[in-house]
Amino acid sequence: MSDPVPGGGPLLEVRDLKKYFDVPKGRLHAVDGLSFSIDAGKTLGMVGESGCGKSTTGRVLLRLHEPSSGSVRFDGVEVTGLPPDRLKELRSRMQMIFQDPYASINPRHTVATIIGEPLRIFRKVKGGAEHEAKVRELMETVGLAGRLYDAYPHELDGGRRQRIGIARALALEPRFIVCDEPVSSLDVSIQAQILNLLQDLQERFGLTYLFITHDLSVVKHISDDIAVMYLGQLIEKAPTRELFRKPLHPYTQALLSAIPVPKAGARKKRIILRSEISSPIDPKPGCRFAPRCEFARPECLESDPPLAEAAPGHFVACRRAADFE
Amino acid sequence: MAAILDIRDLVVHYSSDRETVRAVNGLSLSLERGKVLGLVGETGAGKTTTALSVLDMVQEPQGKIVSGTILFEGRDIRALRPEEMREVRGKEIAMIFQDPMTALNPLITVGEQIAETVRRHEGLPREDSERRAGEMLELVGIPASRSRDYPHQFSGGMKQRVVIAIALACNPKLLLADEPTTALDVTIQAQVLEMMSELIKKFGTSVVMITHDLGIVAENCDHVATMYAGEVVEYGTVDQVFGDPRHPYTIGLFGSLPNLDEESDRLTPIPGLMPDPTDLPAGCFFSPRCPRATERCQAERPSDSEEGGHRVKCHLFGGGKEEGR
Repeated sequence: MSDPVPGGGPLLEVRDLKKYFDVPKGRLHAVDGLSFSIDAGKTLGMVGESGCGKSTTGRVLLRLHEPSSGSVRFDGVEVTGLPPDRLKELRSRMQMIFQDPYASINPRHTVATIIGEPLRIFRKVKGGAEHEAKVRELMETVGLAGRLYDAYPHELDGGRRQRIGIARALALEPRFIVCDEPVSSLDVSIQAQILNLLQDLQERFGLTYLFITHDLSVVKHISDDIAVMYLGQLIEKAPTRELFRKPLHPYTQALLSAIPVPKAGARKKRIILRSEISSPIDPKPGCRFAPRCEFARPECLESDPPLAEAAPGHFVACRRAADFE
Repeated sequence: MAAILDIRDLVVHYSSDRETVRAVNGLSLSLERGKVLGLVGETGAGKTTTALSVLDMVQEPQGKIVSGTILFEGRDIRALRPEEMREVRGKEIAMIFQDPMTALNPLITVGEQIAETVRRHEGLPREDSERRAGEMLELVGIPASRSRDYPHQFSGGMKQRVVIAIALACNPKLLLADEPTTALDVTIQAQVLEMMSELIKKFGTSVVMITHDLGIVAENCDHVATMYAGEVVEYGTVDQVFGDPRHPYTIGLFGSLPNLDEESDRLTPIPGLMPDPTDLPAGCFFSPRCPRATERCQAERPSDSEEGGHRVKCHLFGGGKEEGR
């Protein structure tokens, strides 16, 4: 379906990406100096709580929002500043699956129309017969029964609606898909079906994913690497196993300890954080987590801590990380 | 110990001109005084309808308790007159709703929303009720000085604290908590659950905790009931159900969860979907999705079998003994 994956090497490279929104109270730093890369065929899980900027990041990568500054290189091409015709061409290779399958598809269109829309826009197929064959093939790929071809979204449950969103994202044979909380609105048994599907598709088509979620057990299951965000900044990034084995940032530690474990008698030692996330509007310099951090020292408030490599492939933005070794 | 809540053979339907939704189908459940019962299941399992039935708040005329008894401290809730029920509701049995954004009145200060409950049920004069409101806010971790603030001035986690303060203001004997932390981020969820479990212990409140999160059940509940299509399919202590899950649906739920402790490549989801509640299958409601269903399962509804308080509604466990395991 897509080009064969070149061995290794980043497909997506993000450098010092910023997205600010001007709001009545000041300037909201939604994404504030983000740098990361994703290798072809891999999944980067991006986690963080409401308002940490993870969805905005996904949207800026596809230029659904224009970045305020910084660089996004996809397959060697600078995405920021690309003229509209080139951008449109690029978007056929970068797609998105949205969180809410109830809101992200048009309720007045049939399943076939929704899935076939990208094919029409990009004139990928010639003639009605070929179009229908392609749509049916996509439906089969994502596990939608052929009898649903003329069905409307309201006739379907959440899991099937999400399959429509996935089929639509696959229609143009992309190489990279931003999955923005694709299973968050689904029940666990359906969630497992969709996660397995996304993994199968990745293997089959060599897809590269940015998987955005607040659910740490989901992200652990599906990701090769995990990036933890806090108030618009990347505070820790590591291979999945390493991050869960040895989280270095105090926020990551609290986040991991907060997950309830579905085992009898498993109640673990929990780090209960003080207060709540501070405002992303005109943030003060210094570590943004410091006001809630039990290890914070005066120097933490002086300037942003740099993202430093604490162990091979394990990056953390914390001045005190070395003390936790 | 005597049960504070005892539900027997509860049947609740929602009807329109065209169809009848069979939401709760012969549910039996009891809760011991001072204990926390977790009610788990997926969307449409009938969890919320069960809770609303206990408060006699099933939306009429579409919704109707068709049959069954609900005994609260030995009193039949369904036999109470509306004015008697109003005394029970909010004072003796309180409910926490899932969404704190819609459970609060945006036009009334949070202090007044708590004080109102106290005045209504305990007949306290305004000054005393306001003092109590301040005390309740402090109990849930909000400075009493904020009692004159409006809901929009609080974050989601803080709003849910206010909702909990309202629910506990009259020191109810029974608390129905319907997904109390589902709308919250995981670190805030940890804060709220910790605060809730302390208060429950302090006041000796009996609790029905409705959730889809098996981790929350494992860490906060004494007993657990798994619901499927309006029935309790498995019931036992947390140790029994999590240590030795028996019903194929419960086992399927556990298989659908990404495991935080172990590396697993594939999830084992439950195939298929929840049955249509307007058209429930013959025999066991789970049989169309059950990997171990036999002809008998498709023809005959299973009854409960019990072993040491561990109850399972499944033909595999007939006559108090396991078969075919």
